[in-house]
Amino acid sequence: MSHISERYTQAQSLWQGLEASDAPVFYVGAATCGRAAGAGAVMDRLRSEIAARGIDAQIVEVGCLGPCCLEPLMIAHKPGTPDICYGKVGPDEAAAILERHVLGNDPCAEWALGCMDGSRLDGIGPLMEHPMLALQVRRVLRNCGRIDPESMDHYLAQDGYRGFLRALELGPDGVINEVKNAGLRGRGGAGFPTWRKWEFARASAGSPKYLICNADEGDPGAFMNRSLLEGDPHAVLEGMLIAGLAMGASEGYVYCRAEYPLAIHRLEIALTQMRETGLLGENIAGSDFTFDIHIKKGAGAFVCGEETALIASIEGLRGMPRPKPPFPAVSGLWGRPTVIQNVETLGNLPLILHKGAEWYSSIGSASSKGTKTFALAGKIARTGLVEVPLGITLREIVFDIGGGIDGGRAFKAVQTGGPSGGCIPAEQLDLPVDYESLTAAGSIMGSGGMIVLDEDSCMVDIARFFLGFTQQESCGKCVPCRVGTRAMLNTLERISIGEGQAKDIAKLQEIAETVKQGSLCGLGQTAPNPVLTTLRYFANEYEDHISKGQCTAMVCQKLVGYHIDPERCIGCGACRRSCPVEAITGETKKPHSIDGKVCIHCGACLTVCPSSASAVFRTSGELTRVESVEKRKSAVKSS
Amino acid sequence: MQKVKLTIDDKAVEARDGENLLDCALRHGIEIPHLCAHQGLTAYGGCRMCLVEVDGMRGYPPSCATPAAEGMVVRTQTEALRKLRRNILGFMMLEHPNSCLVCGKRELCEEYRPTPEKAGRTTGCHSCNNKSGCDVRQLAADLELKELPEAPIYQHRPLERQAPFLDRDLNLCILCGRCVRVCKEQHGSGVIDFVGRGSAAHIGQAFDQSLLEAGCSFCGACVDVCPTGCLSDRYAKWHGAPDKRTATTCAFCPEACPLIVSSVDGHVVSTRSANASMPLCVLGRFSVAEFVNGLTRLETPLVRVGTVLRQTAWKQTLEELAARLALFEGESFALVCDTSATLEDRLVFKRFTTDIMKSPNYIELAPDGRGWTNPAQLPGGVRAVISVGDLITAEQAGGLEALAVIDFFPTPLSERADFVLPSTVFTEVEGTILDAQEAARPLHAASLTIGAALPAWQIVTDLSHALGAEGLPYEDVASITAELGLKKVFLALNRTASPAPAVNPALRSGFYHNHRIEEQVSGLLELPQVEGCELPKSAAEAEAVATAFATPSPTPTPSNGRFKIVSTAEIIPNTFEIIIEAPEVARKALAGQFCIVMADAVSERVPYTLSDWDTEKGTITLVVLEKGQSSRKLTLMDAGDCLAHVTGPLGIPLDIANFGNVVLTGGCYGIGAIVPIAKAMRAAGNHVTVVTEAQSWYMAYYREKLAGFADECIPSTIDGSLGEKGHSMDVVGQRLAAGIKTDLVVAIGCPFMMMLTARETAPYNVKTLASLNPIMLDGTGMCGACRISVGGETKFACVDGPFFDAHQVDWDEVRDRRTAYAAAEIQSVGRTASVAVAHKHHGNCGCVKDALNV
Repeated sequence: MSHISERYTQAQSLWQGLEASDAPVFYVGAATCGRAAGAGAVMDRLRSEIAARGIDAQIVEVGCLGPCCLEPLMIAHKPGTPDICYGKVGPDEAAAILERHVLGNDPCAEWALGCMDGSRLDGIGPLMEHPMLALQVRRVLRNCGRIDPESMDHYLAQDGYRGFLRALELGPDGVINEVKNAGLRGRGGAGFPTWRKWEFARASAGSPKYLICNADEGDPGAFMNRSLLEGDPHAVLEGMLIAGLAMGASEGYVYCRAEYPLAIHRLEIALTQMRETGLLGENIAGSDFTFDIHIKKGAGAFVCGEETALIASIEGLRGMPRPKPPFPAVSGLWGRPTVIQNVETLGNLPLILHKGAEWYSSIGSASSKGTKTFALAGKIARTGLVEVPLGITLREIVFDIGGGIDGGRAFKAVQTGGPSGGCIPAEQLDLPVDYESLTAAGSIMGSGGMIVLDEDSCMVDIARFFLGFTQQESCGKCVPCRVGTRAMLNTLERISIGEGQAKDIAKLQEIAETVKQGSLCGLGQTAPNPVLTTLRYFANEYEDHISKGQCTAMVCQKLVGYHIDPERCIGCGACRRSCPVEAITGETKKPHSIDGKVCIHCGACLTVCPSSASAVFRTSGELTRVESVEKRKSAVKSS
Repeated sequence: MQKVKLTIDDKAVEARDGENLLDCALRHGIEIPHLCAHQGLTAYGGCRMCLVEVDGMRGYPPSCATPAAEGMVVRTQTEALRKLRRNILGFMMLEHPNSCLVCGKRELCEEYRPTPEKAGRTTGCHSCNNKSGCDVRQLAADLELKELPEAPIYQHRPLERQAPFLDRDLNLCILCGRCVRVCKEQHGSGVIDFVGRGSAAHIGQAFDQSLLEAGCSFCGACVDVCPTGCLSDRYAKWHGAPDKRTATTCAFCPEACPLIVSSVDGHVVSTRSANASMPLCVLGRFSVAEFVNGLTRLETPLVRVGTVLRQTAWKQTLEELAARLALFEGESFALVCDTSATLEDRLVFKRFTTDIMKSPNYIELAPDGRGWTNPAQLPGGVRAVISVGDLITAEQAGGLEALAVIDFFPTPLSERADFVLPSTVFTEVEGTILDAQEAARPLHAASLTIGAALPAWQIVTDLSHALGAEGLPYEDVASITAELGLKKVFLALNRTASPAPAVNPALRSGFYHNHRIEEQVSGLLELPQVEGCELPKSAAEAEAVATAFATPSPTPTPSNGRFKIVSTAEIIPNTFEIIIEAPEVARKALAGQFCIVMADAVSERVPYTLSDWDTEKGTITLVVLEKGQSSRKLTLMDAGDCLAHVTGPLGIPLDIANFGNVVLTGGCYGIGAIVPIAKAMRAAGNHVTVVTEAQSWYMAYYREKLAGFADECIPSTIDGSLGEKGHSMDVVGQRLAAGIKTDLVVAIGCPFMMMLTARETAPYNVKTLASLNPIMLDGTGMCGACRISVGGETKFACVDGPFFDAHQVDWDEVRDRRTAYAAAEIQSVGRTASVAVAHKHHGNCGCVKDALNV
């Protein structure tokens, strides 16, 4: 077993050898998102091309660089030139880049996103100047998309574990102090000061003490933790060592949801590497610190992201939360002092210890220091994983980084915090993104999910979607959550099919208050939030549904009627042929008509009606909507 | 022990170390509502009823799970808390049949009809087995819950009656988790747990096993802690709250567990452990009542006259027995008993043998490890025996000149005896028994003796007097106990000497005084028998048990294939639409008539209104509510089964004419009954308004069917979830008050509903007809069972009705006529065998299952 400090030289030379390689290197972004986009086929093609040409080239599977909308991503290293990052690389593009750029002189600018490490080449600017990346500060995600997550040497070469070694020197008190000065707050959503959790656990009696990494990440649309675990698992594990040292734990668990098999696989490899390097077990790195880490897989329950339910799950029990107090820091896993931390919180620790609290707290807002990763999704032009300094405005995230709304439609709201969070409307776009500001606006930071909504999003439907999720995921233990969410969902469903009543809004408000106040755990306490924020900012949409039977966004299909304008219809029959339920009748060259009783609101007719006619239109309540072909096509596609 | 001082509702209190706020408050007489918290169980924190306000703590912590701390300031009754609790209870009620809780006529209804209907599925307090003890009902009253936030949801979970001894209706479950916790924590079994998530969460066993498969030992702890009617003791469930609870000892085995016996009107209905943290076994918890109330209990003394045993009065019996025994003093007499008799009994037996009969042959036998006492070896020369129990062989009995048997159930030995003297079971006497450690345990009388039965010591004492000599001096048990020199006999409530009787399948084959307990308690037959513990069976018994579980071969039905059920379906919870082949009935049926149905050859004859009929297919349609023994038999039959008989059409058909504006009201099963009336009235040219009444939207049915025959259909529901909020007669009353012309009202439903309809229409002098359904026997005017009073005159519902002028009917008498046999039915409906064994019929196949029914 080699000691960690002996490994650095070896690691650095290996990494430098790769960076300055005489042979071509292709770094393919093959995390789960990349694979879903087709990175597997890209790598296969590269392999066959390399074999066919008999050249000496290397393919390195890396994690996610961030711009998921541009995947598959590939960084090509042509010896002697700056590395170039390419986007939307399919197998053909990869072959072309190999042929034209690596073996030729043409850098394939049409697919290039930018040069790595601040360089330029032939009009291709630095990657960090790309609009999606320009405002980002990639600290926690610094290694993702660059290193091979299954290579410990790559991690060590990026100063991996130096933070932990410094932590050993500082000792638990020193570490706590450093993290306190850094101002790190829990990134799981609650924003609780990390150092304080450790202190509670240190002060509590009981042994062994446990540190748990909560990698359950259940919010729909959230993939921050997954990307970090898949792209740079050692960063999280090093964080666990630091946290374990600070709180006095000797055992650690990574509770990772079973739906993340690649992350689990990478974690297992990383743990083996740690053991081989003396970073787990007794007398770690020659100190008297003993620590070991186990992986526990989740089993498909969102509620197990709640800390006491997570603890129950590790104990082999049904994942149901327990009343607090006692808090886990006093009595947690098997009754011992336990600290549960979010993956990203842990990912911040190596940097804080290595580079210091002053460096860390140099960015961020007054109350919220450092950076935060966000999973940017929804009706936005550039979706992906971004990391920004806290205090940045929503407008910058949505419009500068995210590129604004797809298809030129109007921005309506951004939903943060997943099913526990809320919607923030256009009037609040200049809100700084930090814990306090988001809470004051009626939402929460959450773990980083950020879903952008536009004029074609129905806020009643959004509330219904999130409430449907929490209703399904409710464990069923306490009455307010189990039944209260169902009562709210029933009300929302009635409203969305046109059976809403005037008293429903007040009723929703009252039920929501009861569920918030009466629920046992965070799931129930926050489940009404989507309803409450949409009622706060978009009450008019609810009222329209109820009093006019109108869904302005044309989402609630029971309230939408499809019609053909007889004066514009040219009788081409395209709609009639496309209708899957034969709801459209008409003779050739004569105006067609849609039978509303048969129509299933699929929108096919809307997309095929020729732009010269634009005869198909939708109504809802008092609203009539006629739109251009492009808008129609993209509207129907994204709804 | 550390104590902490704190304030609850401005009252200074002291809490023990680690005590939670709820326990502390309750100890000081401060009532905090709670459902999931229960004595002896860990805190759960799920019902959210016990939420309180604590200065310095965020939100509303649950007092059951919050440890009391020094200096805490707690408030339990603020307006905000009351509102929060009421709202949360309202949520709870959304998934629990709740219409009675929000019904405006509840007090009146419960006054008119206090006892609940013995339903299959409970759809309200009116048909709930736990009406008298339900915690939720109590809370709803305390918190003044009158409205629900949304339309209630009926979960349509399966009604579970296939386990022996207990029923489980998960549609009543509020997921308080008490049952799960008591099974896991106190019993160490964990047979049941939460299954599924969110609204689909329910109580169940792993991998959908049955309770038996999952290893349930039927200790009944879960039933005892259930706050609603979800879990119920099948035998006891419809008896209501006991009027007496007696502490005594279970005598079924040498464990001698302390027992609390609950009785109603002197009859044992159920038993519970006297020690809350020590559960009973299936014998002590579920077998005592059914055993004690066994149908073949010996009730009167019997004296042999030739080949028959004749019922005889005690005085005469004892005189004749004394005269006979007088011939056999000394060694020619023997008395045989066993050690499961009380100490007092045995003292009297011994003294009788030695002092009165001057015989050395007092034979006291001990049971073996299985609880079975092998028969005595009688000394040669014995010609007269008193056997206290089935304790000598038939061969030996054949060689005797006089045999008297003292026992409480008939046995082959008692069948051969010259004298059979009925005695008592342990719940009926005072006395002392010894447990496995030879410690004394008291018995206390918890129920009345059956018939003329007497305690054995009393019989023998009286016999001693009848023998002429100075008899034994005992006047009561106390005097015998005193003579035994037992200075102190105490009930050990906190006994820790022996562990709780764990799952002991051998106990399924328990004996009590050489009577197989399972002979009386059919539920025991379903428990697995342990190898090595098999007990000798008579040939007849072996065959009976085998056939109880075998699939019966099709045998001709008494009806010879007639009255076959074409289809049967539960159309709303607890109500079935049954279509039966009955061509003769269908051919002659007219609107308003009824038929009388017998499920099998020994069942009640029950009248049901004909809801529909098809003369071409030769079928009739009945809408049947499951609410008692006979309707249960009917609704458990399958399509293809044959009923024993259908008589009809009976009754005077409704007079159909063009009256003008006719209002038909139907409640519950009445909705089905008004279908043919609506059809006929419409055909006669009337303007037909149909007003239906149901508890909730999910209890409404036949809406489309009735709409086809009505000009106007107005649904009403008690909880307002569909149509008008309230009852059908409220709608009628409002229409009359608004001046809507009404020429005739026909109401069909329960007597309460029809009575109130009559009250509503009386001020307007609108002719109102009600269809009465008292108990009936022949249905053709001969027996008089269906008599009721109308306008002061006696009428018979079968031939003078079923329709009568509702303003003239004596409604109190109707109620009394219908409940005349309620007590007997409560007894008969509670056999402990599961529905599968006890009630399933296949057209009266004649298997032993019938013997298990009344």
